[in-house]
Amino acid sequence: MSESGPVVEVRDLHVRFGDVEAVSGVDLEAYAGRATGLLGRNGAGKSTTMRVLAGVVPPTAGTVRVAGYDIRTQAIDVKRVIGYCPDVGGLVPRATPWEHLQLSARLRRLHDWEPRARDLLERFELGDVANRAAGGFSHGMGRRLSVLLAAMHEPQVLLLDEPFDGVDPIGVEATLDVIGDARARGACVLVSTHLRELAIQACGEVLVLRGGSRVATLAATEMSGEEGARAYRSLLD
Amino acid sequence: MPTARFSIRDELAATRDVGHLLRFRAGTVRRRLLFGWAVSVMLTVTAAIATVPAFLPGAGDSDRATKFALLIPTGFAALLALAVVSAVVSGGGRELMPREQAVAYPISPTTDHLGAFLLAPLNIAWLLQAWGLLGASAYAFGSGTLHTSIVVVLLWVAAATAIAQVIAWTMEAVRRGPHGIVVVRALAVSAVLLGLLLHLSGQLTSILDQIPTVWFVVGGVDGVSWRWVLTLFLEVALLITAVVVGIFPAHLASRRTPRDEHRLESAAKQPLSMPRSDLLALVRTDRASVWRTVPMRRGMLVLAIGPGLVAIAGNLPWPTLTVLPGLVASGGALLFGVNVWCLDGRGALWRASLPISPSLVFAARAIVLGEFLMLASAITIALASLRAGMPATAELTALLCTWVVVTVQVVAAAMRWSQQRPHAVDLRSARATPAPPVLMVVYSARLAVSTTLTGLVFSGLAHVPDFEVSLLVAVPFLAWSLARLLRTHRGWMDPVVRSRIVTTVAA
Repeated sequence: MSESGPVVEVRDLHVRFGDVEAVSGVDLEAYAGRATGLLGRNGAGKSTTMRVLAGVVPPTAGTVRVAGYDIRTQAIDVKRVIGYCPDVGGLVPRATPWEHLQLSARLRRLHDWEPRARDLLERFELGDVANRAAGGFSHGMGRRLSVLLAAMHEPQVLLLDEPFDGVDPIGVEATLDVIGDARARGACVLVSTHLRELAIQACGEVLVLRGGSRVATLAATEMSGEEGARAYRSLLD
Repeated sequence: MPTARFSIRDELAATRDVGHLLRFRAGTVRRRLLFGWAVSVMLTVTAAIATVPAFLPGAGDSDRATKFALLIPTGFAALLALAVVSAVVSGGGRELMPREQAVAYPISPTTDHLGAFLLAPLNIAWLLQAWGLLGASAYAFGSGTLHTSIVVVLLWVAAATAIAQVIAWTMEAVRRGPHGIVVVRALAVSAVLLGLLLHLSGQLTSILDQIPTVWFVVGGVDGVSWRWVLTLFLEVALLITAVVVGIFPAHLASRRTPRDEHRLESAAKQPLSMPRSDLLALVRTDRASVWRTVPMRRGMLVLAIGPGLVAIAGNLPWPTLTVLPGLVASGGALLFGVNVWCLDGRGALWRASLPISPSLVFAARAIVLGEFLMLASAITIALASLRAGMPATAELTALLCTWVVVTVQVVAAAMRWSQQRPHAVDLRSARATPAPPVLMVVYSARLAVSTTLTGLVFSGLAHVPDFEVSLLVAVPFLAWSLARLLRTHRGWMDPVVRSRIVTTVAA
């Protein structure tokens, strides 16, 4: 346990879409300066949990607090302190990367954001396409831009949903750097991914979800190697 | 994968695939009972329009019926022209399966062509024109020859639609070829200028009197005869030939890249300075989603200019112009407004995570939709006013009141439907529609009815000398639409409703 208490605190989270319960009783704590991984099969509830933390989907039941704000009553305050990379797309098709950054900077009241935005665009190798509509981007380029948008304002809580999906090694490296930088400045990072090896590399702790519930919380080192793979596999069934 | 070789076997297989895709589309209908009800209403209305006028007093043997009969050949040509414009603007016609879904399947351009032909009637402009032709023909020729004239009209409608497909695919193939965009634009401008020139020189009427469609109309007026059989034979031959010939340009177009879509996506956009307010920032992003999309740009041009030119050609007086803003606004809403949240596409999730009041997001979207509709109808009004002379104060007030009232009316309806039935749609392609085809017909019918009625009310008020009357009547219209818009806004403020919309359009 951290001495300063959790930045993200989820208690008995339930999310229901009609007859389908996407998340059924997830408990989760994540701390400042640490990266926590969410692992699990398709439909385990990882992305829905991330969407709740980002204030995009309201919880059906349970308590969710992000940086001390209640997601039900203080959704805008939560959105001010988070940076979110959604699992699908995450980009307005006709807007350019620079216009995405400008919109985010305007709504977050950022000043002197342009040098950092340009630096990130170069690090993610998107500098050449900064003024082209995102609709024409490849999947990997789109993922990289989504991560960049989530990280640009140096949020207190960084939520990355499948940030490595279809991304080339340079993009993966840049994303790992972003996670490392965020941890170093004391941000709380949550990474949802299918890729166990990258989750181990990026995170200190991983939560395994199955059928909308948490089934285990492990140190990332426990998930590494052949033995870790077997342990992970057994948790999925 | 498009194939360059023509094989009867492949074409037959592609024809069978149309059935598979239709069944697939039918399977995705959410409310089957409502769908069945809508189809039944459509068929009943069509049957009533095609038969009832034949039994009205004066049908077939009055001066009025003769006047109708004289206009039928022009109506035949007008239907063809409308079908051509619709199919050309939508890049070859509507898709049986959206491109992003179809990309994983080996769907032949032949299947695509036949699908577009079958979906062509799911267009309110086409439907109104076809209904008008059926009704006018029934009244003009009366009940005595109804059984023969109705077959001639129906076969002409089918043949004209198939011919339009051939022209549309050919234009699309040209548009995707070298210098294609310039060539197509030059052709369109030339056609408009030629039409205007003929009209202004007074030759249009004499040309319309000699158009070949007269031959088809005459074939249906004498009851069962060899002439009638010959007419049917020629119409069926035209239909089959056009359907088969359309396969070739459809294949050619499918082998070429859609240049204007790629041009819009790959062109560098000049970065603008930081917006001065949050609302302006949101509006700017939404405007980019509208104006950087091929169907919106192309649709806006046709919607704004087409009715304006018709008004010029018809020399419409000011009181009649009040019908135009409603029709243009309805058409504009059908380009994206009826599913307005789909503009964000998969970026909807990211946008929903930004720290901004949902109320402002709603306002920005309504403003962008409203200004799009107002601009389109302003161009139409400006064009139409060129031949209408100087308006009286009451006429001008009635027209301006209609302009504002129908815009708010359409924005309120579109925002409401966008909330009730969001769809994940990529509007990148000129062939994409913001909602499934059947739903589009329902939306367009509802919009056309409400805005036309509003236009007719103000058309009547344009004859009232006191201009204040129009202003007074506009108030309850506006209050009603604004109340509906505010109710939709209240729904949007509910996080559960908002998340349903956002997750649907981003799916």
